[in-house]
Amino acid sequence: MQALRDGHPGAAALFYDQHAAHIHRTLRSALGPDEDIPDLLQEVFIRALDSIGKLREPDRVRSWLTSIAIFVARAQLRVRTRRGWLRIFSPEHTRPVEVNQPSSDARRALREVYDVLDQLPTQERVAFVLRFIDGMTLQDAAEAADTSLATIKRRLARAERKFLDAARMRPTLKPWLEDGTRWTQQTNS
Amino acid sequence: MDPADEQLERVGRSIRVALAAENHASEEIRVARTDFLEGFASRTSRRANRPFAPLHNWRAWAAVATAATALAGLGVWRQLPISFRSNVPAVSTTPGDLIEASSVRAVPLDFSEGSSVILREGGRMRVIGADSAGARVLVENGTVDVSIAHRRLGRTRWSFEAGQFHVAVVGTRFRLEFRPQSQQFKLDMREGRVVVSGGCLTTPTAVTEGGTLDLSCQPAAALATPSESPKVATARADELGPFEASAKADRGRPAHAGAPWHDYLASGRLEDGLRSAERVGYDRVCQTATSKELLALADAARLFGRSRRAVVALQTLRQRFAGSSDAATAAFRLGRIAFEKHHAYGDAASWFNIYLREQPSGPLMGDAFGRMMEARQRSGDLTGAREEAQQYLRRFPQGPYASEAQGILSQ
Repeated sequence: MQALRDGHPGAAALFYDQHAAHIHRTLRSALGPDEDIPDLLQEVFIRALDSIGKLREPDRVRSWLTSIAIFVARAQLRVRTRRGWLRIFSPEHTRPVEVNQPSSDARRALREVYDVLDQLPTQERVAFVLRFIDGMTLQDAAEAADTSLATIKRRLARAERKFLDAARMRPTLKPWLEDGTRWTQQTNS
Repeated sequence: MDPADEQLERVGRSIRVALAAENHASEEIRVARTDFLEGFASRTSRRANRPFAPLHNWRAWAAVATAATALAGLGVWRQLPISFRSNVPAVSTTPGDLIEASSVRAVPLDFSEGSSVILREGGRMRVIGADSAGARVLVENGTVDVSIAHRRLGRTRWSFEAGQFHVAVVGTRFRLEFRPQSQQFKLDMREGRVVVSGGCLTTPTAVTEGGTLDLSCQPAAALATPSESPKVATARADELGPFEASAKADRGRPAHAGAPWHDYLASGRLEDGLRSAERVGYDRVCQTATSKELLALADAARLFGRSRRAVVALQTLRQRFAGSSDAATAAFRLGRIAFEKHHAYGDAASWFNIYLREQPSGPLMGDAFGRMMEARQRSGDLTGAREEAQQYLRRFPQGPYASEAQGILSQ
């Protein structure tokens, strides 16, 4: 950590290699398909190096990085919202988020999950992603979202209700709500 | 557990599995890694262009806003930590970050309370801390011209560190020069008074207006215990000449400083720099440019689709600056061009190999290993690719190319 604070390039590479996969997963689960993920991944690490001096507990580096990734993801969700508004007025000047065509049931379902999440307010979406997709405890989710336990519970309750209402309207998602193993089996096959 | 929660837990598990099955994650991680490390190495990351380091944390903003409202105006302003900015692009204004001046351009830093520090060409320094009374500056190498604004209201407390030396400042103007290898420390006072301590000085020494303190401490002496006699080669206080006249750092300034292509590159206008160099005579420019300028020219050419020009700049760099770390970086970039632009995978593997030979522990070492493995595979050298894959996994079992390496070994 000291080598990192001193700006040693070898330390930066090691730091990146140790945490990039986890941060990539966090960004991907928060955002869904997004062509900007490599840029955002880089941004998380740049921000981390910017504020490495503020990290008081080096053994909590992973959760600290996660909170930076969530901060960056939230900013990206706001950018997407602005793009959405711009598209209304000037569709030729904005590009949609590129998404690979689904080639399996699992991918189609994944796409639909993120379609549903795109309808949620950013804070509720983040709470939902941290708790259910990243599988965090409520305490860890609150810490990653930089908020209190009570607030994350409130956001989560609203997000759960909205997600389930929307997901039940989608035939692709219905079987997985009833039996989540089907998706898992199809993906692994 | 609530049935709704069970449903959501199931969906969440399924999403995790589906996300883990995606096969483009390693490619995205790798792309970001290369850009991150190249940006880190060249200090050209986006954060560096911010005029003042912003507060990212909303709580910090809120605290600042609340304090400003409650205490109001000047009184509060004096309590805030000072910040700084530079008009040179790619200079980080985050405390603790390394600030480097290129060999052709000084870096002026303007502080919010009116002080200024100019890092002369080729120098390295860090602002390692700041509070409402001043800042702590570490001069790692080179020369700084300092002008500290003395605050009539409130305290002024600035300090400079250079190796083992410590300079305590009130309100003043001076030039400080430090060479870490020879432990040479020189301080020319123009106005005011400072107190220098540490290094081979046994007692703190005041330097007043018009005075010069010129010390040359051998490294052994710098580490000597206080009871031992320091080896002070010269220590004198005499009249200063004109402040600018002693700008030793200006020596070695390239003759082409001020040429349009050079200024464009220095200000980050790469395409204009490239065009300007082509107008003057690209090959001739390559023969006179510094190694950093050649890397910038090659970047500009590569970014604007002139890979042949990029290759000329990089190969010239390797000829003219053979053995330097920039020459090794040029080899890595030649490998990337061969791989990505020309699909000449055999050539690419050779360039990555050269980089590894010249910089076995360099910042791009992991990428060079991974890319060499991939280049050998694409060139049809499967035996070589397997050897590289084994070697890669031995050194970087969790590295960004690990899944590719395992794929090659499983074939």
